[in-house]
Order: sequence, then structure tokens, then C-alpha cells
Amino acid sequence: MKILVCLKQVPHKDARLEASGGWIDEGGIKFEINQYDTYALEEALRIKDAGEAEVVVATIGPDRTSQALRTALGMGADRAIQIWDDSLSGADSLTIAKLLAAAAKDESFDLVLMGLMSDDANNSLTGPMLAELLGLPHTTGAMKIELSDGKAQVERELEGGSLQVVDLPLPCLITVQTGLNEVRYASLKGIMQAKKKPLDKKGISDLGLDAAAVASKVTVDKLYVPTKGEGAEILEGSAGEVAQQLVGKIKELGLL
Amino acid sequence: MSKTLIVGEIQKGGLREATLELVAMARGLGGDVVSLVLGSGVSGLAEDLAKKGGGKVLCADDAALENYTADAYASVIRKAIEAESPDLVLFSNTPSGWDVAPKVAAGIDAGIVTDVIRIEKDGDELVFVRRMFNAKFDSQLRVTGSPKLATVQPGALEAYSGSEGGSVEAFDAGSPQSRTTFVETRTAASGGHDLSKAEIIVSGGRGLQKPENFEEVLKPLVEALGAQMGASRPVVDAGWLPHEYQVGSSGQVVTPKLYIAIGISGAIQHLVGMKGSNYIVAINKDADAPIFEVADVGIVADLFDIVPALAAAIGSAKG
Ligand SMILES: Cc1cc2nc3c(=O)[nH]c(=O)nc-3n(C[C@H](O)[C@H](O)[C@H](O)COP(=O)(O)OP(=O)(O)OC[C@H]3O[C@@H](n4cnc5c(N)ncnc54)[C@H](O)[C@@H]3O)c2cc1C
Repeated sequence: MKILVCLKQVPHKDARLEASGGWIDEGGIKFEINQYDTYALEEALRIKDAGEAEVVVATIGPDRTSQALRTALGMGADRAIQIWDDSLSGADSLTIAKLLAAAAKDESFDLVLMGLMSDDANNSLTGPMLAELLGLPHTTGAMKIELSDGKAQVERELEGGSLQVVDLPLPCLITVQTGLNEVRYASLKGIMQAKKKPLDKKGISDLGLDAAAVASKVTVDKLYVPTKGEGAEILEGSAGEVAQQLVGKIKELGLL
Repeated sequence: MSKTLIVGEIQKGGLREATLELVAMARGLGGDVVSLVLGSGVSGLAEDLAKKGGGKVLCADDAALENYTADAYASVIRKAIEAESPDLVLFSNTPSGWDVAPKVAAGIDAGIVTDVIRIEKDGDELVFVRRMFNAKFDSQLRVTGSPKLATVQPGALEAYSGSEGGSVEAFDAGSPQSRTTFVETRTAASGGHDLSKAEIIVSGGRGLQKPENFEEVLKPLVEALGAQMGASRPVVDAGWLPHEYQVGSSGQVVTPKLYIAIGISGAIQHLVGMKGSNYIVAINKDADAPIFEVADVGIVADLFDIVPALAAAIGSAKG
């Protein structure tokens, strides 16, 4: 079994973000592996723990993203692929999917796993796009994956807590929803071993592509803090004072 | 003259409200409106959409489309795009919309924007507006090439309420094949913790930091108010509380008289579950958190200072 996990490095959940042009100012902020992708990686590692599997992680991103790959290797992935070229800054999802497809096409993966969406752009696009480009069946938002007899049975999340159960033949691509499993941490031993695991860096031409083939069709003109509507009445004062004001409001509602 | 193709969606035997929101968006942009309805035994719904502003409605009625599968739906949507050559194709950002739209886009090498809340016109060009970073930021995007695809956030627009007469045309789906097979749909098991009838809900989010804080910090306030406890998704994902506590698009939709959101940022998937509450209080240390947009009253402070003070004040108010 050969599994590809695609992951993205995104700003840390607690980072203070400032908009700058069409993106955020990345200076001085911490990054982490996209939450959704950590669940995909964990699922791949569980399959590996339960039997025989090679887990390959791939990302498209600048130098800083090798840290995310090292973390994934420390958690138990076997090798990593990092793809970057400065011209890819601001690339749209289809471009990302084309690069991942080029990197994956000769590797005959049995299973491709990745997060349902990323916590930065929130696009939810790359997974199904990559599946289409690789000619694989796919499903999105998995809350449970069971592999047997060359197929994957997936419980995919719908709305309001309902689920849809689907069967996919392998090879296939599955995007996962948060909460699918409990994600492990990299152990100290794992982190030490990760330093010796292969991390292959590639550029666009190494993938047999040129800039024109991966030109983006979607560009972000502008990122900005939404103009606030009427918004909330903000209570001011010490903890005790705002608590008193709120008690007054709750009384007015007739709930005290 | 521009043309918009609407990919309609059927839910529980009826047209989904979100489809009529797409009609409103397409009508707002002007130009021709064409719709596609996919399913088995859906000619009545196609008629319905034609009466509700869907324009010319292509009715792909085929046993192979009875249950959604990405392969079969994508192949019919691509056929409709070939037949109609639209400039813009609109989907709803729902579990089937986000599953199929990117597949179609990659298949025809088209640009796509998801979870759009608005499309503005800049001369002849379209500017797509959507949220990013879990609603912390808005963004404006442009797409080159044609057609352009977009998925639209359900509830972002009012459903179209006009009644332009349209027409229905049978559309040959060609018995599309699917590699994925549908097994079944399971509805949520209704657990013991039904929030739908609660008068007061106090919900905690990731800002509570650890499971013990739900017991030690949140629960005294819940009890002082005689409220029910709710939670955002990360709390449930981490196993701190069971799924039946989750409020939001993949949890419960609640409408209490009072909803207090504590350490919850206000991502759209949480907001759709609680914004219908009569009165909303938000406690968050980040003044820019989107939760304050839907709140009636906000407190910008550390929840670990405010929540105990509030529980105490309510306790003494009750005497
Ligand atoms: C398909 C899909 C379905 C989803 N369904 C749901 C759903 O049903 N329900 C749901 O909730 N989410 C859902 N989500 C997830 C959603 O997108 C958000 O990730 C989630 O709602 C964030 O939860 P949160 O606000 O608790 O965490 P965060 O966004 O991390 O926010 C934590 C907040 O706590 C504040 N905070 C931290 N410390 C303190 C402190 N000491 N004092 C005061 N404030 C503090 C921070 O300022 C921050 O605003 C879904 C996502 C997808 C893609």
C-alpha cells in the first residue's frame, strides 16, 4: 500500500494576522500544519501501523514549509516532497492541483488523503481537482474510512450530523473532516529519525511543467477586515462591572 | 449578452432554498439564466424551478442520478456546460456542491471561486467576494477565462421571489457511470442532549483551552442560568464533549431566547447554527472576532476573568 498525504502549512491558529495586499503579512508569524491535513496524515499513519504501507507527504510551498514536512516525517511519514518556485506565490488551487498531479502521476499511489479545506484560504478545492487530474474517484469530508478488498468505505459528513456512506474502488482520493481520529504528536525519537528521512525538493521544470502550464486563473485582488455592520453593543468596565451590566440585560429579557 | 447556468439541488424531495438564492444572484447580474436539475423523477421539480425564475430549465431525469455521486453528476454538468456555453456557472456551497464543482472545474480547466457571498460587476468584469481565514477577512477575487465557476454560500442572499415564466427541456443525461457507489444516508442519531428547545444556551469554544474548563469555568455559569451547554466543533472533534453538544451546520441549529458564545470566533459554520437566536452575547478577547457581528452584546476580554464574575453576579441576582 502506497499512500500520498498532501498537506499545507498555514498560519498558526493563534497568530495575529494583518492583511497586506491580496494576502496576509507573513512576517514574524508562526506556522503549523493545516488542522484538516493533520487528520489526513494521522489516518495514513494508522493504516501504516495496522499493516504494510509507505506514507509520502507532499506540499507546495516556500522554504519555511519544509518544517511542516519535517513534522510529518517526525510523526511517522516515510518521505517528503516539497515543490516550489517563487513564481508560485499566490497560485490558485488548480495550479496547486496540477503540480501535485505532476508529482504523483508516476508513483501509482493506492490512496491519496488530504484535508477537506485549509484554515487560511478556506477554498475546499484542491482535493477533488487533484482526483480529477489523476483520473481517480474521490469523496470529500470523511468522518470514517475503512479499507478492505481493494475498496474504501467512507462515511462522509453531510449537514446537521447526517452521513452518507459510499464505496470507492482503490486507487482513490479522500478528503477528510476534522474529528476523524485523534492526531498523534511527533515523539522525540520520531523527530530525531525524521532528520535522516528523504525530503525531495523540486521546481516546476523538474515536474516537466512550465510556468504557462501552471498559470493561475484566480487572483485575490484584495484582502481586508470586513466592514462591520451594526455589530454588538460592547460593554466596558472591570469584570465585575460588565457582569452587572449583563445581569441587567438578562433581567430585561425576563430570563432572571 | 452574458449567460449564467445554475446547478440546482434537490433535498428531501424538494428544491433546496439555496437554489433559489442562486436564481437571485444570477438575476441580479442580468443576462440569460439557464438552470439544470439532476435526479430521478424530478420533472415536477424542474417545472417548479421554471416557475420560480430558473429560466430555461434543463431536466436531467435519469435513474443513474437518483443519489448524488461525483462522477455521474460531474459528467452531466459538463454536458450542460458544453450545450449551453455559459459565462458563469453557479453551484451552492453544500456537501454535494463542494464535492462536484472543483471536479468539474479541473475537468474543463476553468477558474473557480468557492463560498462566495456576493458577485459585483466592475464594468464587464466580475468581482467575487468571499471570506477567508475563517471569516476574519473578506476578499475580492477575479477569474480569467470562461466559463467561470463559483459556489455560493447558502443564506448569503435572499431566495428569488419573482415568478418569471420559464420553460422545461428534457436533457439527456446518457445514463452516466460512477466509480463510487452510494450505500446509504444516515440521519443524525438524536442523542439525549436536545438543544432545540433550550431557552438559554451557553456555548464554549476552543478558547476554553482544555476539557476541565468546561466543568470548572463554564458549568457554574450554565447552572446559575439554568441553561443548557453547547459547544463549537473543535471542542467536539477533540472529544471534550459529545457530538450532540455541537452547534452549527454539522451539528444542531438552535434558536434559544439567549445564546452566550464564549471563546468562539464565529466561523460561518457555527453562525448558521445559532444566528437565529433571539438575543446573542459574545465573550471573546479578540475585538475583531466575527462573532461580534451577529451578537447583540459583546464583551472584549479574557473569558477566564469574565465568566466566573458573571456566574457570581447571576448567583447573587437570584438571591
Ligand atoms: C463542512 C464544515 C462543517 C463545520 N461545522 C461546524 C459546526 O457545526 N459547528 C462549529 O462550531 N464549527 C463547524 N465547523 C468548523 C468551523 O469552520 C470553525 O473551525 C469552528 O467553528 C471554530 O471553532 P471555535 O470558534 O471554537 O475556535 P476558533 O476559531 O479557534 O476560535 C477560538 C476563539 O476563542 C477566542 N479566545 C481564545 N482564548 C480566549 C480567552 N482566554 N478569552 C476570550 N476569548 C478567547 C479567540 O479569540 C478565538 O476567537 C465546520 C467546518 C466545516 C468545513
